[in-house]
Amino acid sequence: MARFFRRRKFCRFTAEGVDQIDYKDLDTLKAYVSETGKIVPSRITGTKAKYQRQLSSCIKRARFLALLPYTDQHK
Amino acid sequence: MRHYEIIFMVHPDQSEQVGGMVERYTQSIEKDGGKIHRFEDWGRRQLAYPINKIHKAHYILMNVESTQDAIDELTTNFRFNDAVIRNMVIRMDDAVTAESPIMKAEKESRERRSSRPERRDEPAETTETAAPETTAAAPEASGEE
Repeated sequence: MARFFRRRKFCRFTAEGVDQIDYKDLDTLKAYVSETGKIVPSRITGTKAKYQRQLSSCIKRARFLALLPYTDQHK
Repeated sequence: MRHYEIIFMVHPDQSEQVGGMVERYTQSIEKDGGKIHRFEDWGRRQLAYPINKIHKAHYILMNVESTQDAIDELTTNFRFNDAVIRNMVIRMDDAVTAESPIMKAEKESRERRSSRPERRDEPAETTETAAPETTAAAPEASGEE
């Protein structure tokens, strides 16, 4: 038995019924990127596989266009 | 005819050329019977990381419906234009006309910037209204195991 109660993970995109994740929607994407700029795995965020695939390609597009950083060590 | 989303970044020093470039590109697209469904000028934006020691770039977003030839012409144009730092062309399923989230944020910040000098007489109120909006942008999901 887990000693601490963990809040149940849920997929935000499934809950909201999102059709396509937009690579320009930085506020959404930033929630799925760690402090160092890595994509947060779906086992941690609870995102469904369908949306995790979209999410990763969106984050990569945003990185290419310098909307998101690749890492926190850019100088 | 297919739908495309074109986004390109122009060197900040060549920002004045943007108008002429856009005009040329729209002409070449419309010449083949294409259409521009959405056009957005995001202006000069801070880059998330420096590219060729540049820290800012002028972003242009276009959603178009055009022929393959026009897109090919456009991409070769981008390649040989030194003012264009980066470009990306994505094939889309439909025409998108809604305002993009970045443009929305840009407009809001512009409004805030323009309204700031008027409010200078009462500084207490401006600091109160500006603070919660900046802190609200923090990410919500990530910490749990």
